[in-house]
Amino acid sequence: MDTRLTVLTAFPPAAGIDNEEYYQNSQQHAKRVRELIRDNAQWIRESADDILKHVNPAVYSLSYLMILEYLLQSPGWTSQQAHESLASYMAQFFLQFDARQIRCKGSTWSDVLKEAYNERGLFPASVAVELGTTALLRLDPSGSIITSHHCSLVELAYNTGNVGAILPLIEKPIIYMPAKGMSTAQPLCDMSLPPPAYINPDSQLTDALTSAAVLQYDFLCGLCFIERRMWQQAFDAFERCVTYPTRDGGCSKIMTEAYNKWILVGLLLTGKPPTLPETTSQAAKKIFATQGKPYKLFAQAFKSETTGDLVREFEVINSELLPNEGNVELAKLVLAHYQRWQIINLRNIYTNISLEKIQERTQSAETGAPLPTVEAVDQLVQSMIADGSLQGAIERPKDGSPAYLTFLSSPAQGMSEVEFSAQVNKVMQGIKALEPIIEATNKRLASNREYISHTVKRQFDAAREHKLGLQSTGGGFEESSFHIEEEEDLMSGLPAH
Amino acid sequence: MDDRKLAFFTAIEDQGGVIVKETPKFDLDLYIQNYKGRTRFERLFHVGRSSVPLCVDALKAAVQEAKAGSDILRYQMAVNSLFQAAPNEPEASLDKAWMESKEKENRDTTAHLQAELQGYKNNLIKESIRMGNEDLGKHFEAIGDVEAAMDSFWKMRTDVSSTEQLVDLGKLLVRVAIERRDWKSIGNHLKPLNSVNDSDPKAKALKTYSKIAHGIAALGQERYKEAAFCFVEASSGVPPEIYNQIASPNDVAIYGGLLALATMDRHELQANLLDNDSFREFLQREPHIRRAITQFVNGRYAACIEILESYRPDYLLDIYLQKHVPKLYADIRTKSIVQYLKPFSCVRLDTMQKAFNGPGPSIEDELFTMIEDGKLNARIDAINKVRYYLPLFLQRSAFFFMLTRLLRTTTKSITPISTDSRQQMQSKALQTLENYEKQALDRIRRMNIMAADLEVKGSRKPGGMNDISFSMTTDDTASLA
Repeated sequence: MDTRLTVLTAFPPAAGIDNEEYYQNSQQHAKRVRELIRDNAQWIRESADDILKHVNPAVYSLSYLMILEYLLQSPGWTSQQAHESLASYMAQFFLQFDARQIRCKGSTWSDVLKEAYNERGLFPASVAVELGTTALLRLDPSGSIITSHHCSLVELAYNTGNVGAILPLIEKPIIYMPAKGMSTAQPLCDMSLPPPAYINPDSQLTDALTSAAVLQYDFLCGLCFIERRMWQQAFDAFERCVTYPTRDGGCSKIMTEAYNKWILVGLLLTGKPPTLPETTSQAAKKIFATQGKPYKLFAQAFKSETTGDLVREFEVINSELLPNEGNVELAKLVLAHYQRWQIINLRNIYTNISLEKIQERTQSAETGAPLPTVEAVDQLVQSMIADGSLQGAIERPKDGSPAYLTFLSSPAQGMSEVEFSAQVNKVMQGIKALEPIIEATNKRLASNREYISHTVKRQFDAAREHKLGLQSTGGGFEESSFHIEEEEDLMSGLPAH
Repeated sequence: MDDRKLAFFTAIEDQGGVIVKETPKFDLDLYIQNYKGRTRFERLFHVGRSSVPLCVDALKAAVQEAKAGSDILRYQMAVNSLFQAAPNEPEASLDKAWMESKEKENRDTTAHLQAELQGYKNNLIKESIRMGNEDLGKHFEAIGDVEAAMDSFWKMRTDVSSTEQLVDLGKLLVRVAIERRDWKSIGNHLKPLNSVNDSDPKAKALKTYSKIAHGIAALGQERYKEAAFCFVEASSGVPPEIYNQIASPNDVAIYGGLLALATMDRHELQANLLDNDSFREFLQREPHIRRAITQFVNGRYAACIEILESYRPDYLLDIYLQKHVPKLYADIRTKSIVQYLKPFSCVRLDTMQKAFNGPGPSIEDELFTMIEDGKLNARIDAINKVRYYLPLFLQRSAFFFMLTRLLRTTTKSITPISTDSRQQMQSKALQTLENYEKQALDRIRRMNIMAADLEVKGSRKPGGMNDISFSMTTDDTASLA
C-alpha cells in the first residue's frame, strides 16, 4: 500500500488507550494529514476517488473529513462531474462518520456540514436537510442541544418544503443551549460527556447563538409541525416561544407572533382556548394581553354554542391581522374545526346520538348554519373517525331506522392494573432519565457567575435573617424577601414527589 | 281581559315587568293584613301591577292605603295605574283637594319639625336633637322622601346615648334601606341588633328581626344559601308585630322553604327545617311548602316540583321573591333531577319526561344543558332514550351484569356506561407523572437558557422603579414568513 495511504489510516489507534491519549493522537494525526495534503495536493486532487475508496469514512472519519475539506476548497473541483463525486463523498461521510473522532476536529466538521446545506447547492434541499439531520443526530443522538446548524437546517427545510426530512431532529426536546466557556478539563472525545460539554462555540461544533436565533428555531419548528398537522408538537413549539425567559421587561416580536399562532393551534388541538403557563414572564403577559387581544377574543368565541360570535371575531382579525401575520389559512382551519369539536364534545353527553340530532345540535362556522343534509353529517363524522379525531362508529340498523353515531371509549380507558403499572413504570423511567440532565445542568450552573452571585446573596440574606431573628425574638420581618422576589424561582410550581 | 287592562299590562311588560295571568291562591285582604307600615302600599301596588286577576282590587286598595298616609307621590302613582287599568272605577280619579291639603300639611309639618330641631340644636340638648332628627326622619319617610329620611336617621348616630336607642336607630335605618333596596348597607345597620346580649329580654325578638332583615338582604344579593339559613334561624315565638313592617311569618316560611330547597341537600333540609321546631311552626302557616320539603326529603321530587309549580303565581307576586323565582325554581328542578337519578344505573327518558314534565324545554334538552354545564355526570343514549348513571361499585357487581344481560335480551335498551373513578384516578396519575416530566424538562431548559445568557432582554434597567414600559426587541423580526 502507498505509504501516503498508511498515514491516512493511522488513526484511530487500537482500543485500550484512555481519552487523553486518544485526543493527543487525534491532534497529532490531524497535523500529519494536513502536512500530507499540503505536500501531495495534486495526488489528492487527481486520485481522490481511489484514496477515499481506501479510507472508510466510518473508521477513518478524521482523515476522510480533512480530505473532504481540502477538496471543497480546491479550485479544480468545480466541474459537474467533480461536483457529483464530491456530493457522493460527503453523503457517505455524513451517513457513517464516527462521532468520537469528529469531536476532536469540530471546526472542520462544521465547515464541511455548512457546505452540505449552504447556497452553493452541492445537494438538492431535500438531500441536504436529510444529511444534516442525520449528521446532527450522529453527533448527539439525544438531540438535546441546539446548534447553529439546527437553526439553518430548519429554515432551509421550511422554506423549501422539506419538512418531513427534518422531523427526526426537531421532534427531539431541546434542553441545552450552547455557550462559551463550557469546555471541561476532560478531553472532548470522552463519550461520557454531556452534549453541552462538547457541543459549544469553543469546540466549534456550533457557532454562538442569540436569543432571537433560538426563538426563531422554535417558531420555525412550530410552522413545520403545522405543515404536517402535528398539532401537539406545534403547540409545544409555540409554547416554548411564548414562555421564553425574558428580563428587564423584554418581549420579542417573535414571541407575540408565536402567541397568536399558539392560540390558533391550541384551539385546533383541544377545542378550547389555551391557558398561559405559569412560566410566562409578566412582561410578555402584558404585551400578549394587548397585542394578542383580537386572537384571544376569537378563541373565546370558539367556546360559544353558536357560530355568530366566532364568525364576527374572525372577520375582525381577518380584516386587520391575519393576512399580515400569515395566519389566514390557520384561522380558516380553526373555523372548519369548530363543528368537529362540537361533535367531539357530544361524547361528554351522549353514548349514542342520531345523525339528525348531530345536524340539529351542531353548526358549521364556515357557513354559520347547520350542515344542509344528514348525508353531509355522515360524511363529516366518517372523515373524523377515519382521521382518528373521533373514537366512534356509525351504526346503520338493519331495520331501516336512521343511522346513528356510537361513541367508543378511548384506548386509554379501561386499563388493567398490569397495564397501568407498565405505563407508570415507563413514565418513571423517563423521570429517572432526567438525572444525568440535572447533573449536567448543576455542573453548568456551578460555573455560572450570576448563579454563584445569586447563591451567595441568598446565603448572605439567610444569615442576616437569622441574625435579625435572634435579635427580635419571633417578630422577624422578612427583609430579604425584597431582594429574592425579583429572581425567578425556577423550580416553583413543580408537583412534589 | 278588557282592552284597557291589556294595554296597561302590555306597557308594563314592555318595561320589563313580570305579568302573572293565573289567579293566586291567597286572599288579598287576608294577605295584606299581615303587614304594617309602608310595606302594605308597596305590596298592594306590586300585586296590582303584576297580577291580571287581582289588578283592580289591589290598585284600589293601594289608593286607599296611600290616601290613609301622607305620601302624595304614591297616591298619584296608584291612581294613575288604576286609571290606566280601570278608568271607570271611582278611585281612578285624583282627589285634588286632598292632595293640596296634604301637601300643605306635609310642608307645614316639615317646617315645624325643622324649626323645632334647630331650636334643640341651639340649646345643645343631645337627647332632644336625637328625638328631633328621629321625628323629622319618620316624617320624611311617611311623605316618601326616603333619601332625606335616611339622612335624618343617620344624623341621630352622634346623639345616641344608650344601647336601646342604638338598636332603635338600627331598625329605622334597616327599614329605610330595605325600601331603597340598598341591600349591601343592611348588614352594617344590623350590627347593633346582633350585639345585644342574650340575657336581654328583647334579645330574641331583635335577633329574629335581624335574621329576617339579613335574609331579605342576602336574597336581594342572590346569596341564597346564606339567606336560607337566616330565615330558618328566625324564632317563631317572636310576635309578628316585631317584624311585620318588613315581612310576615308566612313570608319567613316561604322564603326559608324555597331558598332551602334550592340550596340544601336532603339531610340539611331534614335537620334545619323539618327537625327545627321553631321553623316548623312557621311552616304550619304555609303547609304546601312543608309538603314540598317533605316530598323532596322523601325522594318524591316530581311531587315536590308539582306543588311548587302550583304556587308559582303566588310567589311571582311577592315583592322580594319575584325576581328570583325563575332561578330558584330552576335550581330546585336541577337538584331534583340530580337527586332523582342517584339511585339508578339508568333511566328511560320517557319516564323522566313524565316525572319532570315542566313548562321548560324537553327533558333531553334540559339534561343536555345540565351535563354540558357539569351539573350532572351522565350520558344520554339518544337512540334507546335511556339515560345512564351508574356508581362504579354497582357497575362491577355480578348482579348488575346479570340485570343488564336480562334487560338487554328483553328491551335492548340498556347498555352500561361508566363514570369510572378508578379510571379517572389512573388517568390523573399518569397525567401528573407526564406533566412532572414535561415541566421538569422545561425548567431545566429555562435554566440553561439563563445560564447561557440567552434571555430576551428589555431596555428597562434592573431595579429601576419608574420605567414600567415594555420594550420589544426588533432584532429578531427577520424573515418570519
